[in-house]
Amino acid sequence: MKTHVPDVGRGHRLVRGLGSRRSASSLLAWAVALVAAGITLPDIVGWALVDATWVAEDRAGCDPAGACWAFVVNRLPQFAFGFYPPEERWRAAVALAWPLVSLAIALGPGFRRRAAVVAAALAFYPPVAGLLLLGGLLGLPRVPTSQWGGMTMTVFVGTVAFVAAFPIGLGLALARRSSLPALRLLGTGFIEIWRGLPLIAVLFIAVVMVPLALPPGTELPRLVLALVGITLYTSSYLAEVFRGGLQSLGAGQGEAASALGFTYWSAQRYVVVPQALMAVVPGILNTVVALFKDTTYVLVVGLFDFLSIVSAAVADPRWLGLATEGYVFVGLVYWAFCFLLSRVSARIERDIGRGRERGRSA
Amino acid sequence: MTDVAVEVASLSKWFGTFLALDDVSLRVPRGCSTVLCGPSGSGKSTLLRCLNGLETWQEGEVRIAGTRVRSRPGDLVALRRRVGMVFQSFHLFPHLDVLANVSLPPRINLRLPRAEAEDRAHRLLAEVGMAELARMFPAQLSGGQKQRVAIARALAMEPQVLLFDEPTSALDPESVGEVLDVMTQLAEHGRTMVVVTHEMGFARRVCHEVVFLSDGRIVECAPADRFFSDPASDRARTFLGQVCR
Ligand SMILES: Nc1ncnc2c1ncn2[C@@H]1O[C@H](COP(=O)(O)OP(=O)(O)O)[C@@H](O)[C@H]1O
Ligand SMILES: [Mg+2]
Repeated sequence: MKTHVPDVGRGHRLVRGLGSRRSASSLLAWAVALVAAGITLPDIVGWALVDATWVAEDRAGCDPAGACWAFVVNRLPQFAFGFYPPEERWRAAVALAWPLVSLAIALGPGFRRRAAVVAAALAFYPPVAGLLLLGGLLGLPRVPTSQWGGMTMTVFVGTVAFVAAFPIGLGLALARRSSLPALRLLGTGFIEIWRGLPLIAVLFIAVVMVPLALPPGTELPRLVLALVGITLYTSSYLAEVFRGGLQSLGAGQGEAASALGFTYWSAQRYVVVPQALMAVVPGILNTVVALFKDTTYVLVVGLFDFLSIVSAAVADPRWLGLATEGYVFVGLVYWAFCFLLSRVSARIERDIGRGRERGRSA
Repeated sequence: MTDVAVEVASLSKWFGTFLALDDVSLRVPRGCSTVLCGPSGSGKSTLLRCLNGLETWQEGEVRIAGTRVRSRPGDLVALRRRVGMVFQSFHLFPHLDVLANVSLPPRINLRLPRAEAEDRAHRLLAEVGMAELARMFPAQLSGGQKQRVAIARALAMEPQVLLFDEPTSALDPESVGEVLDVMTQLAEHGRTMVVVTHEMGFARRVCHEVVFLSDGRIVECAPADRFFSDPASDRARTFLGQVCR
């Protein structure tokens, strides 16, 4: 039965709403925000846009009243690709654009099997992008890892560490919940050890101590050692996120799968893990954002990521004193990337929600 | 092939020091439906879960269609593909729609091609009156609808024995009837079923045999007619007095 609700009218509700205390404080907040913006924005806009210089040969060519973006523009290729040989930069450009394009696909218009396409693009990234950057086959000249750098290095390290840490973290989470005590102990021990160390210490251990343990004569590039360290570190964080998802399921789902004749692995694959992952999408993306920012630590082991290459450029005598421009640019780029990731998270959550709704209209 | 679908011989099970099943022996002939009843905590669920190896036990033996159930993982998986189970709280897979809930088990576990598994799922969903709702998600269904999908899902593995653990206890009264109708139909088609239920009307009308458990022991095992008209033990009489009001 349908009950008739008298039409109170929008305007009436609005007036009542304005009178409430909640709206009063919200008005106050807006007023404060506007005043603050009015005080600071003109200066910022004047410096960053109105008086800014975009094209110049060096510092002297810049208008001292505004930002000297010419510095950033001049150095952009280096910020993006580090010391990668200029004639080979297309390879670095592919390695840099690949994860960004994957994210754009995840955010763009939907199509059938989009999730599978994005997952495949990420899964193939580490070996393909690694070989592409390194070269030495298919007629590509070899470029040693010591020449990699800039945004490419940051995106490469972040993406490879995430893609490699994902299955390891999942394995660790399953091990930690295993019914076999030895496996449980192993999983728990591994997670607690790596999670208990600061990333800087992990990197030093990877780069300084691991070579001591390797047979003499073997030489691994620092980048590989750092990647291993970051991957293991990230996998222990992801493992705990996944474990939260697994625990949110309860025993019923696993039992139902067992009772239908699923093996342990197929039950995990088709029933348990998909639900656990869906439950912790925000936690996963949160870990990715933290990982992406943490890649800046590779500078302590002598790798030139985006932040350290900008730091080096700021010390260039021709562009001396432009630290503000350099670091504002760094901040904007990191912020944009993390914002993109949080949009992806929101999008996935919405799609999952809609998946649950699907059929309601059918 | 033997005509005994389920055979339990001198089964004892302890949870720690608590004796949950005490020397239980039971036979279910093929094509018969058996009701397990008894007071709460008497071990009905535990016994049922031993029949498909969801619980392990310490003494005794379980045979399904003549094959001994042993708790080696590979054997258990093979066994569970021949024994279906329907739970009190459904346990449908919430991330899959109704069709996928029913077609996934044969697709993965019997390696049926997708089209064939989905044909089978459509047929079974029609059988339980859920054909129209194949594209819904579990969260959109009523309790009775969920349980009918769960029955179709169990049937999709073409099991030789179907186990039901209080399939109507989590349902609102209007939904109980629709699930019992489906179960009645299954029993009349000669399915071998072991049903834990407090629906004594259903037990009396549909099932062949009643097993009455109390404190982990079988107190009485009798044809349904006789159990309801003339229970042999005092405890069964008291129980019937309480359940049938
Ligand atoms: N996992 C368990 N651990 C310890 N005791 C249990 C467990 N499962 C069941 N029990 C105990 O075993 C007895 C039988 O339980 P159950 O088979 O669920 O009874 P019913 O289904 O007849 O109500 C109960 O006393 C219960 O407390
Ligand atoms: Mg029970």
